[in-house]
Amino acid sequence: MTHKRASVKRPPTPVADQVHAHSSQQLTLQEIINIKLIESGEKERLKELLRERLIECGWRDEMKALCRAFTRRKGRNNVTVDDLVHVITPKGRASVPDSVKAELLQSIRSFLASAI
Amino acid sequence: MSSKINRHHYHHRFNAQIFPPPCPHLAEFRARNGSKPFRALQDCLRAKSPGGRAAIRRDPSEVPRCGACGESARPRLYACVACAAISCHAPPGPSHAAVHATSMPPGHEIAVDVDRAELFCCACRDQIYDRDFDAAVVLSQITTLNSATIQSTKPENLRKRRRVDYRPWSPDLRDRVLMESGSSPLDYGSDMPRGLRGLNNLGNTCFMNSVLQALLHTPPLRNYFLSDRHNRYYCKQKNGVTNTNADGKRNACTGDGNGEKNARLCLACDMDAMFSAVFSGDRRPYSPAKFLYSWWQHASNLASYEQQDAHEFFISMLDGIHEKVEKDLRKPHNQGHGDCCIAHRVFSGILRSDVMCMACGFTSTTYDPCVDISLDLESHHGGSAKSASTKTHHSCNGEADSINSGQNCGISTLMGCLDRFTRPERLGADQKFFCQQCQVRQESLKQMSIRKLPLVSCFHIKRFEHSSIRKMSRKIDRYLQFPFSLDMTPYLSSSILRSRFGNRIFPFDGDEPDASNEMSSEFELFAVVTHTGKLDAGHYVTYLRLSNQWYKCDDAWVTQVNENIVRAAQGYMIFYVQKMFYYKPSENQVAS
Repeated sequence: MTHKRASVKRPPTPVADQVHAHSSQQLTLQEIINIKLIESGEKERLKELLRERLIECGWRDEMKALCRAFTRRKGRNNVTVDDLVHVITPKGRASVPDSVKAELLQSIRSFLASAI
Repeated sequence: MSSKINRHHYHHRFNAQIFPPPCPHLAEFRARNGSKPFRALQDCLRAKSPGGRAAIRRDPSEVPRCGACGESARPRLYACVACAAISCHAPPGPSHAAVHATSMPPGHEIAVDVDRAELFCCACRDQIYDRDFDAAVVLSQITTLNSATIQSTKPENLRKRRRVDYRPWSPDLRDRVLMESGSSPLDYGSDMPRGLRGLNNLGNTCFMNSVLQALLHTPPLRNYFLSDRHNRYYCKQKNGVTNTNADGKRNACTGDGNGEKNARLCLACDMDAMFSAVFSGDRRPYSPAKFLYSWWQHASNLASYEQQDAHEFFISMLDGIHEKVEKDLRKPHNQGHGDCCIAHRVFSGILRSDVMCMACGFTSTTYDPCVDISLDLESHHGGSAKSASTKTHHSCNGEADSINSGQNCGISTLMGCLDRFTRPERLGADQKFFCQQCQVRQESLKQMSIRKLPLVSCFHIKRFEHSSIRKMSRKIDRYLQFPFSLDMTPYLSSSILRSRFGNRIFPFDGDEPDASNEMSSEFELFAVVTHTGKLDAGHYVTYLRLSNQWYKCDDAWVTQVNENIVRAAQGYMIFYVQKMFYYKPSENQVAS
C-alpha cells in the first residue's frame, strides 16, 4: 500500500516514444495549437481571463441559477454533475456575450501571431 | 456493514449545509486506506497562483492527457488516486475514467480532477465530497501561500454567545404585591403599540429624531433601558459623589445641567429619561431637548441649529454612551468584544480584512470593530466590461454588478451592496500595498468579510458622494431594494474564506462544526431611516416596524403606513435585528 502511495505523488509522464509515435502520425493543427497554449502557460491565463469576464457579466450567476432551479426540480439527491453540465451547456454556450468572445478571440490571435 | 456505519457517521452538517453521505466506493476506499487516506495527496497539490485554485502539481510545460485516448484538450481529466493514471470523462462521449474504474481491480474508482482538485467517483460518475480530502487541499493551498498570516489584532476572545434557554417570566404573589405597591399600571388607551410617540422638531433636528426613533425601538436597547439597567437617578448618585456638593439635588441628570460640567454629562441617562417618557403612555409629542443639549456638549463641533447628517449623529451618540462608560470603569475594554457598554453590546461587530500580495501570496489579516457597515451604492450601471483588474478606484467599483445584472436588471439591492462589500478587490498599480514578506509594495488583493455579527446591524448607505475630481458633492437618489428578512451567512468570514478555497469542507475562521451559526445570522428588518431632498437641505423620516405593522415617524407625527410605502422608500440607514424568537418585530412581543 505504501508503494501505491508513492506512485500517487505525481501523474506519470507518458513514455517518450509513445508521444513521438503519436505526434509524428496525426497531430492536427488544432492539437498542436492546444499543446503550444498549454506549454506556454497561455491557456491558464486565457482561462483566468475568461473566468473573470464571465463572472463580471453575470454569466456565472445565470448558470448558477439554472443549476439551482434544475436541482430543485429533480431533488437534491437525484442530480449528478454530468446532469448539470448537460443541462446548462447549450444555454451557457449561447449566452456568452459577444464582447467576451471577441476579446478572447483577439487574445488567441495575438498569441498565435507571436508564437509562429 | 462497515460502509453503512461510515455513511451514518458521515452525514454531518457544516456551516448550515448538509453534505451527502459518501458513495459506497468512497466508503470502501476509506476503509481500505486507514484513517488518513488522502494525507499523501497534500504534496501532489498546489495553488496555481497566489489565491488561485488548487490543482494537481505538475510542470508548467507538462501536458496532461488521457491515458486511453491521448486526448489533452478535454476539459475534464481525472487522476486515479490508486495508480495516478489519468483518464478523461467527457459525457455524452465515452468515459475512459469509468472504463479505468471497471477494468482495474476494485480500488480504482476514486479520482481527482487534475485542474480543480476535486474528488470524483468514476463508478458513480459523480462528484463526491470528503472532509479529509478537502482538508488536504486547503492545507496544501495554505502552505503554498506561505501561510505566515499576521494577525495584528486578533480578537482572542471569540467565544460564541452563550445560549440561554428562554423562560417566560410571570410574577408570583410576592412579586405582584411588590409591583402593585411600588408602581401604577401604565395606561395605553389606543390600540397603537407602546412607545410610539412623536418627537418634536427642535429646529432642524429631524436627523436626531429619526435616529432616536430607531434607537427607541431597537429591541435589545429598549429592553435594557426599560428593565432599569441604567437608572439615571442611581447613575447620578454614584457619579455625583466626587464633584457635587451635599445639597443632594435629586434629578441633576435629567433636570437642568447648569451647575454640572462635562463630568456630569451622561448620554445614557438622557436615553433613560427619554425611554421613560416615550413609554409612559403619554401620546403627545415629546421634546428631546435635554438630550439634544447633552449631545451638543458631547459633540461641540456639531452644536448648532443647522441640518446634520443622521449617520454622523448616530456614530457620535453611540461614542458618547461608550466614552462615559469607559471613563467610569477605567478598565481597558476592547471595543470589538462589545461587552463594554450597552451601545457596543448592541451594535458592535468585527470586520475582517485580508490583503493578499499577488506576488508571493502573503496575507495580512486585520480585525476591526465596527458599529455599522457603510455600503457603496454604485453610481452608474452596467459598467464597462473591461478592466475590473486595473480600474479599482474605490468610488467607481460599480462596474458589472455581478449579482443584479443577471436577474433583475438595473435595481440595486442591499444584498448586491453586501456582495460588493465582501468582493475581492484588486489594489492595482496605483494602490500598491506594502508586502511584509517581499519588503516592497506589490499589487494585492483585498477582501472584507464579517468576523462577528452584531445583535443589531445598521447598514449605512452612502448616498452622499464627494468627488475630488469635480470638487463637488452630490446626493445619489438611486433606489435601493432591501429585504424584510436578511441572511448574513454569505458575508461571514467563514463563508468568504471557504469560497476562496473552493467551498471545501473545512473549518474556517470562526466556524465550529457544531455551532448553531445559522440561527444567529438571520436578521429581520425593524427600522428604516429615509432621506428626501438634497445634499444640503432635506428631511429625515423613520419607518418603524412594531408588531408586524409599519409606522411612519415624521418628527411629531406618527402614522400607520402600508409596507409597500416602506419598500419604496429611499433608505439611508437600515436597521436589522438578529432573529431570535423573543425579538421578532414581525410579531407582537407584548403577550399580555
